[in-house]
Amino acid sequence: MASFIKARDVSLVFKSKDRQPVTALSNFSLDIAHGEFVSIVGPSGCGKSSFLNILLGLIRPGNGEIHLNGTRITGPGQERAMVFQEFGLLPWRTVTANVELGLELKGIAPAQRAERATELIKLVGLTGFESHYPHELSGGMKQRVGLARALATEPEVLLMDEPFAALDAQTRDLMQMELLQIWERTKKTVLFVTHSIEEAAYLSDRVIVMTARPGRTKDILKIDLPRPRDYEMRLTPEFNDLKLHIWEVLKEELTSRG
Amino acid sequence: MAAREYFTEHRRLWLGLCSFFFLVAAWELVLTYIVPVNPFFFTKPSLIADAFKEQIQSAKLWHDLAVSSQAFLWGFSFAVIVGIPVGLVMGWRRRVEYSLDPFLTALYASPLVALAPLFIIVFGVGVLGKAALVFLLAVFPFVFNAFAGVKSTDSLLINVIRSFGGREKDLYLKVILPSTMPYIIAGARLAIGRGLVGIIVGEFYAASEGIGFAILQAGDTYRLPDMFVGIIILSLIAVGLTELMRKLELMVAPWRASDEAR
Repeated sequence: MASFIKARDVSLVFKSKDRQPVTALSNFSLDIAHGEFVSIVGPSGCGKSSFLNILLGLIRPGNGEIHLNGTRITGPGQERAMVFQEFGLLPWRTVTANVELGLELKGIAPAQRAERATELIKLVGLTGFESHYPHELSGGMKQRVGLARALATEPEVLLMDEPFAALDAQTRDLMQMELLQIWERTKKTVLFVTHSIEEAAYLSDRVIVMTARPGRTKDILKIDLPRPRDYEMRLTPEFNDLKLHIWEVLKEELTSRG
Repeated sequence: MAAREYFTEHRRLWLGLCSFFFLVAAWELVLTYIVPVNPFFFTKPSLIADAFKEQIQSAKLWHDLAVSSQAFLWGFSFAVIVGIPVGLVMGWRRRVEYSLDPFLTALYASPLVALAPLFIIVFGVGVLGKAALVFLLAVFPFVFNAFAGVKSTDSLLINVIRSFGGREKDLYLKVILPSTMPYIIAGARLAIGRGLVGIIVGEFYAASEGIGFAILQAGDTYRLPDMFVGIIILSLIAVGLTELMRKLELMVAPWRASDEAR
């Protein structure tokens, strides 16, 4: 497997509120192939979101490095875009203006921005809501805007930080299905952080289970279920065996922290 | 039944109007029938109304208003132009905050009208002196509210801009300023009141025209109804400007308006 994203010995230490150094990540390594859908699950505080932020270029690791397509990551770049858990939409902008944000920051001309935004709004199923403001949308719709905004800049890697955690269960199921459809059409490389074993197993090619803090790789599980996957697949015994397996690996980490 | 519902729905307006008219009527009646005070020392609504009618037809009132407005607008505009950027940078840059905070806080807390004589000496008795005084009083609400607005800016939105490669300028223009707008407008409401104090104090202290001077002169010559006309006009202006700011707040921050409605 040729690795598109290659993380080597990434460590991150930050100071907690009482000035004690906390090791969030310790020698975390990871390889992801082009077009692969990889999920990271792990106990709270294991540094999985921090890793995503390092990959995005917002945090610098204390040690180690990450290469993307052979180039070392030193800051934000247009081949990566993030979908945030709390959406991160600008409340004073309409749906269209929010989707255009990344294009605007990259200096794309207004006419092209508008064209691209229309296209993506259609892709995420929000046509008709172009001039709505975020406060007029439901949680699921807000995250569709977040997804459209990330995809608008045509990143090669889509980073998703618990993107559906703030949504209700049914909206969540729906968004997972739609994400898979969009992924199959666009063939982005996706790194998806979640707390949900089911979500990770349903969406991913591989699931990485992390240890409790300091976070490192505990186990990597290949999900050999056929694609395209539908909701019914989640009711099969094979799927449940996989979930059980991930749960057993993860459980040790959860109980070790008390 | 319908009338009752109508009253319940609009009781804020009706009760407000009732209490206003009751107060005015009581003032008039007490001074006319119960304690007939010499009109030289105190006055009553009917006399004020007469003076009001007379004054709005005279050129002097409009001239005074124009003179005072000019100084107010100059001072207030500079307060906006200086106060907002200073507050924004102070909120965003810790070093600027720590350097400016001690003396700005001391000035904000002090009764700045005490500096009126100094300002008049330095800037003169004309528009400039008064404008400088308005500026001094009105600038602080802009600085401190812009500062508080920046401090409450959602750090997630900052990260969003950064993640798309946004620079310092983009952070200010696309996140910090828009998210601070409601705070700035709330600051403007305070600044209006303070700025009006600046005008009046400046004109009380040294002036030969303007609405503050007119009030002072009327008082000095025991023309109490004329004095009240000036005061009423000032409060009408203050209420009008404050309402304007409230409307503006709903315009620039519609997402907040819907929060309040819920």
